[in-house]
Parts: sequence; structure tokens; C-alpha cells
Amino acid sequence: MTRAFLRMNVLPTLTLTVCLLAPALASARQSASSEAPALQPTTCSVEGLMDSIRRGMKSRSEAYKLYLRTLLRESAVNLPRAELQAAFEREYDPVMVEHLAAALVARTERGLEDDAFQVVAKRALEDRDPGLRAATVRAMRRTGALGRSGEMFERLVRDPSPEVRMEAATNLVEDTHYVYGGHHGPAADTAVSAAAASDDPKVTAKVLGQLMTGEISSDSARKLERLLGSDSAEVRAAASTALGGVPVAEMANARQSLTGMYRDEKDPTVRKAILQSIARLGFSGAVPELQRLRAVDPSMTSEIDSWIRVLNMNHQDWSLILREKQRQQQAR
Amino acid sequence: MTPESSHRSASLPVNDTARRGPKVAIALGAVALLSAVALLSRGASEEGGKPEASQAAAPQPSSTGPSASKGGPAGQNAPVQAESKPQQFNTTVCWEDLERFNESVTLETFREWARPLLAVKDPLVLDYLKARLGELIGDDAGRASEVLDWAREASPAEFKLFMGGLRGSKALPKMAARLTELGLDEKMDLGRRAGFLDELQRMPRLEPAALDKLATFAQDAASGEAGWVTTRAIGRVMKEDFKKSGNFKPYLDKLLTISSQSADEQVRYLAAEMGMDADAPLDTKATERLGKLLATEGSEDVRMMAAHELSMSEDKAQALELYGKNFQIEKELCVRWALFRFAARTAGKDALPVMADMAMTDPRFQGIYQEFEKLYASGIVDFDRIWFSLPTDDPFGCLDRHEE
Repeated sequence: MTRAFLRMNVLPTLTLTVCLLAPALASARQSASSEAPALQPTTCSVEGLMDSIRRGMKSRSEAYKLYLRTLLRESAVNLPRAELQAAFEREYDPVMVEHLAAALVARTERGLEDDAFQVVAKRALEDRDPGLRAATVRAMRRTGALGRSGEMFERLVRDPSPEVRMEAATNLVEDTHYVYGGHHGPAADTAVSAAAASDDPKVTAKVLGQLMTGEISSDSARKLERLLGSDSAEVRAAASTALGGVPVAEMANARQSLTGMYRDEKDPTVRKAILQSIARLGFSGAVPELQRLRAVDPSMTSEIDSWIRVLNMNHQDWSLILREKQRQQQAR
Repeated sequence: MTPESSHRSASLPVNDTARRGPKVAIALGAVALLSAVALLSRGASEEGGKPEASQAAAPQPSSTGPSASKGGPAGQNAPVQAESKPQQFNTTVCWEDLERFNESVTLETFREWARPLLAVKDPLVLDYLKARLGELIGDDAGRASEVLDWAREASPAEFKLFMGGLRGSKALPKMAARLTELGLDEKMDLGRRAGFLDELQRMPRLEPAALDKLATFAQDAASGEAGWVTTRAIGRVMKEDFKKSGNFKPYLDKLLTISSQSADEQVRYLAAEMGMDADAPLDTKATERLGKLLATEGSEDVRMMAAHELSMSEDKAQALELYGKNFQIEKELCVRWALFRFAARTAGKDALPVMADMAMTDPRFQGIYQEFEKLYASGIVDFDRIWFSLPTDDPFGCLDRHEE
């Protein structure tokens, strides 16, 4: 009885005490926060960084979150590899997994160990949780992953999870563009192979729609030509766009495939993409071909005329031609 | 891609900023000269979007990966792993209580609280402080103005921090008038004024009255580096305004004036370069002005840049005539080479007759003329592909001149 009585009465008393003290505590906190925190330098550790990041992710300051992310990545080369890897392997929070994976990749990028990257790649391919696979793929973005494991991308774009497939597509787009500068044949070939290997039209279209194909191999050019026959209109449009930028040796074939396809194509978006690539492959020399195509589809006449007007300005840079075309579109 | 890029094995530019890099650094060396100027590091340190931290803190930030601009990426055919020699990495520092700083700091306390952190010169913390200050300023022009007031009297390190904070804030585009006013305030030293003026490059537009004042200041040789950064700002705003709204003529007019009137060769060069960099089309009058510059300018470098800019002429025949005429009176081989190749960039294979005349005038151009002729005959139509297909992009040894 006594014990029960005590239990019943202690709680309200405690609550009362806390309530009474709360304003005082709040004011103490406020007074503390108006003073500059005494910042002490300490040696970074895996555990300490993990704690900071876990708490920091709740912050409303993006600046602080970015700082912590960068701090972990920059510290990675000085942290014990085994501890870092163990932390990565036992972590199941996607945000933390992404940070730790980026730290491991950073070690390989800085020339420490090749297999640190492999640990990350393995998880991207094999973890049971699609959210964690996606997070791991993001951690490899804008690194040399494309050069290290092209085969990995061919598997990632066939992942059962659409989220993972799209993350892989984003990596392919950003890696070829930002890491390889858009003018590296083998990197572009890897991207074409991965795009062609995927059964997800959104993935294929995303990769091919933005890829710079100026240095691709004949083999890749053939793959692009085959994709013109895809059942998906978005894949056909993206493959058409990609064929507009192929190397000199592939230009004639590309022009022929695109022109041949235009007549049977029904989708207006694909037709527009084909016209753009015909313009790109021929510049002012494409005008006669475009004039011939005017009769095929009356709904495309104004688009073709717009290209003819722009190409007749005789610009020598594709970027200038494209800009002029956009300007005409805006003026309409 | 432009012929100013020296190595075709290097990547093509992937964005506007990257594209500017090789042009400036290789073609002239003006940036090399000016980057040594301390004040520029205040304003233009994030050139190319590269955070300072990654330059100072780490030998190779992982985010950049095997950058193609460094002579080729680590692709499937290239060894990815670095050579096996002991590596030295900068150590990082973890700051106890930075979390509390972050949660409790306000604009009112920022300056005082940031001071000790600034003193330790941790590049990651510096970047954080700038970004945090940007968050504290937010979209509020009043707060941005307050930070600019601090900057008037700040130490160099604080100045850099405050301007970095402003740059990252959403209020930045609202600050054109205030930055112009501070930049043109003669009571302050030129170095500090240059820091304010440099920030103008990120404005979406410049109003006509401000543009007038800035252009007058830029072309005055007494403005020194501040005139140089102002010229660059006019050019960059032009590019942005042109992209967004199609407006470029008032800026181009000022840049053409600066490129012909300034007594400072570096400023004249930059003015011509900024016009070219925006790919702004040139009407008949602007083309005439460039033609005059080509014929009268004393500096080879400026003439070469003018030759490049001329390729944006809307009237191809007018430009080709100017290329031909100036080739005849030009004495310097490298300027002749610029006139020759930019004629091709202007009109493609339609430029071949003019280029053939040039090769008749100067037989040293016969070999390279035949290359151009052969490439156009092969069906290549665009200048980029022509340029990359040439056996050499430097047949006359012009690219190394500034590296000596």
C-alpha cells in the first residue's frame, strides 16, 4: 500500500518540480546562448563524427549539414579504415549510409585503397533495402566510379527498384558530364551500354537525352540506332537526340537512320527530336533534306521552317544555332 | 570550344565558367597576373564554383574525381589508382561546440562569434561560416546592407567572409545599387572598392545609369584592378541578362568602348574577351567598331581577341571582308593565324575563298589551308568538329608564347 501510494504521489510532485524549474532552465539556456561558445579543436574520430552528423541532420541549417558532410569526406583519409568500414556496414539509416559510403569512396579517390570503393559498390548492388542501395549509389555520384566499374552500372540500371535505377541514371549523366567533361569516349560508351541494357524507358531516356556522344565508338552508335526502334517514344526521342552529336565517322549513318525513320514515326516529340538531330548533323547543309521532309507531316511544317530559318543564318557553332532556335520559339 | 583552348586532349568546356578558364589562362595570362592581386581573391575566389575549402584543405577533393581538365580522366583504359608512394593528407579538425554555435548564432552575434573561428583558418569552417552568414542574411536586403556596412571597415579576412556570406544569400540580386555605390565611393581604398565591384558580376542586370558610371570607371586607367574587375562584371552580367531576357546591347556598347578607349592593355583585352565570351551577336555598327579596333590596336593579344569576337558578326560578308583586309595589313604571324581560323568560325566553308587569299598572301598558311579545305570537303559542317579534326591546333607555336 505504502509503496503504491508513494508511486502515485511522486510523479505529480516531480512534474510540478520540472514545471516550476522550466522557466529558470530556459532562461539559463538563453543566457548561455547569448555568449559565444568556446570552440575547442579536437581530433576527429569516426564515432565523434557519426554522433555530430546524427544530431546535425536535425538542424535547420543546410550550411551546417553541408559542413558535416564535407568534414567527414575530407577526414576520411585520416580515419582508421577498419572503423570507417565497420561503421558503414552496421549502419541502416540511409542518410548515414550515404555519408559513410562517400567517405569510403573518398579514400579510393585519393589513391588509398581500391577496395574501399568495392565495399560501397557491393552494397549498392546487394543490400536488401532499396533505400540503402539508392543512398549508396548517390554516394558514388561525381566520382571516378564510371571508370572503375562500368559493369556495375549495367546491373544498377536493371535493379528491381525504380528509385535505384533512376539514381544510377543520374550518376551516369552527371559523371560523364562533370567528371569526364563530356568528351571521353570510354565513359560515354559505358553510359550508352548501360542505357541500352536497361528495360526502364525512363532510365534509358534520361541517360541518352543528355549524353554528349561526340567521342562514342561505332559499336555505341549502332546501339543508338537500334534504340530508334524501341517501343517507347521517350527512348526513341532520346536516341534520336543522342545520334545528333555522334563523331564525324558516324554522321552519315546517323543522318540516314534518322531521315529514314522520320517518315514512319508518328509521335510529334520524337519527330521534333529527329528534326533537331538532322539539323545538327548537317547545319546549313541540312536545309534541302528538311525541305523534303516538309511534305511528310503538315503539323511539323512550322517546326521545319523554324529550323530552316535558323540554319540559313549560317552559324558555325551548334550552341549558337540552338540558342537562336530557342529565341525564335520564345518570340512566337 | 574555342581555338583559345590549347590542348584538344583536354575536355571541352562543360559549362560557361569552365569554358572561360582555358581562354583566359592560356590565351593571355591576364588572370595569372591578376590573380596575384590580393583583392581579387576576396571577390572572385569561387571561380568555377570550386569551394575554397577544396583548394586549401585537401589535395584532391573526392567530389571532383578524375577531372578531365587535368589532362584526361581515369577511364577504363587509364590506371585509376595513384602510384604507390606514401601519401600526405592534410588533417582535419573537429570543433567541439560548433553545433551550439550553429544553433544559437544570430546576425547580431555573428561577427563577434565568428572572429575566433576565422582566426584559426580552417578552410572547411570558413566555407561553413560564409554559408551560415548567407542563411542569416536570407532574402532580407536590410540585413545584407548591414553586412555590407560591416565590410566597409572590416579586416581583409573578415571582408572576404562577409562578401562570401552575401554571395550565398538570397538577397544578393537586390544589392546592385548598394554595391555600385560602395564600389564607386572614393573615400575607400581601391582594393576594398574592387571587392565590392567584383560582386556585381552576380547581378541579374545593371540599370543604365549604373552601367554608365561603371563603364566610365572601368575604362579609367587609374582604376587599376578595380577597373579590371568592373569590366569583368559588366561582361558577366551581360551574358546572364542576354541569356535570360535577350538584352545585351547596352553592355556590349560599353565593352566595345572600353576595349578601344582604356589605356590599360589588360582591361582592353578583357573587354574584348567578355564580348566574345557571351557570344553576343554583332550588328553592322558593332562589327565596324571591331574592324577599327583590329586596324588600330597596338597590342597583339587584344587584336587576336578582337579577331575572335568578330566571328559573332551577324553580317558574315562584312566580317569576312574585315578578316581579309586586316590579314593584309597585319604583320604578326599569330594575329594572322587568329584572323585565318576565326574566318572559318564565322562562315564555315563559305570562308574558304577568303582563307585561300590569305594563304596566297602568306605561303606559311598553305598547309593549314589545305587541311581546312580537306575537312570541309569530308562533310564536316561545324567549327568544333573541324577544330578537333585538325592535325594540330597550334601550327605556328602561338599558344606557348605566354607561358615563357
